[in-house]
Amino acid sequence: MKQTEQVLVIPCSGIGKVHGLISREATYLVTDELAPDQAGTLCLALLVKGDEEALERVRTQPCITIDGCPKACAQKNVALAGGQTDCAFQVLQVLKQHRGAQPGSASGLNEVGWAVARELAELVRDKVTELSGCEVKS
Amino acid sequence: MKCAVLVCSGLDKPLGSLAREVALCAAGQAECEIVCPVLLSNSPGRYEAVLKDLPLAVVDGCGTRCATKLATQLELKITRRMLLPEAVKELGETFEDSLRPGPKAQELALKLALQLVADDEEQEPAPELEAVLFPEPVDLLKVTHGKFVFPIPAEGYFFNENDCWVQVVGSRARIGISDYMQQSLTDITFFEAPDVGRAIAQFDDAGAVESAKAVFDVISPVSGKIVAVNPVLDDTPELINEQPYTGGWLVELELADFDADRELLLTAEEYAVKVKQKAAEASA
Repeated sequence: MKQTEQVLVIPCSGIGKVHGLISREATYLVTDELAPDQAGTLCLALLVKGDEEALERVRTQPCITIDGCPKACAQKNVALAGGQTDCAFQVLQVLKQHRGAQPGSASGLNEVGWAVARELAELVRDKVTELSGCEVKS
Repeated sequence: MKCAVLVCSGLDKPLGSLAREVALCAAGQAECEIVCPVLLSNSPGRYEAVLKDLPLAVVDGCGTRCATKLATQLELKITRRMLLPEAVKELGETFEDSLRPGPKAQELALKLALQLVADDEEQEPAPELEAVLFPEPVDLLKVTHGKFVFPIPAEGYFFNENDCWVQVVGSRARIGISDYMQQSLTDITFFEAPDVGRAIAQFDDAGAVESAKAVFDVISPVSGKIVAVNPVLDDTPELINEQPYTGGWLVELELADFDADRELLLTAEEYAVKVKQKAAEASA
């Protein structure tokens, strides 16, 4: 699948927060492992700075956002760039099902953190399947 | 030095991931506050107190320099900046081509973070500089294109095809950008200076000039060791527009081998021909 036809998975920048790291790792799991052909990503800072290529991609490709917290920076910035978010995930949606769990720190996930990232990635992968109309790895 | 570290988001490039790792190490080593570029852009008030209390260090993972551009746009005073491709090269290191920094990349990130937060007194003191008088140009060649006029000092300056000039006095030289380039860039808002003490080769980067229109990499016409950067440009970058050949100089160097560098440079007359061509192409 060409890069321009992929579903874009866009995590929040999430620097300095463990929830941000989970959103980033979940994205890498989808784009590197679970749906490498059907899903791609782009850097949110590029979008915020108005990079022409990044703007064009969110305006023309299906988008899934993953936000670490309710500030929803990824979802908001896709909208500000004129794109449409087909599905918006929040790390907290998954994390709250692991009541009391400590997922690690901003610099690294522990076992719980990786489990949450993978669980989230699988949800995203399912949405990528739906949006791209292609079967992906299960 | 405890500081606020504004780091690029760095999602899809290995050096971007390394930038994030550098910021995390800086936070661990010197209790620095990490500033998320996206959150800063969306909600500047979130970091108001941090940016008021702490000096700002900016780390960019790639030449797009998202973090620097954001800081410039928000008119934040940058105390330190690190562009990772340059910083890694200066350390003589290589980086892993992976979005997830491994042990080697983490070790490199720690080195870079320590460099970023090093106290001023820990850095190598700048050598005492003997003052050199750089004379102002006497005669100017004037290249005209339509309503535009591009002055070029007739003597005492040499140029490269990248629109940068050098003026040599003894073993020292100043470099800057030509009038043609400053007019092309329009209003200049920032000069990203290279580190003093760094040795550069002819045609190496010697900082970048940013305007509302573009970022222009300054390509050094000569090789040598950087001994000074123009101190007034931090507050008055518009001097590059107003006095490109005099007060708006960018960098001063102790020359390495000007005789060899000279062979690849243009005289004023030769550069005037280039400017004429460039202006014609730009308006075609």
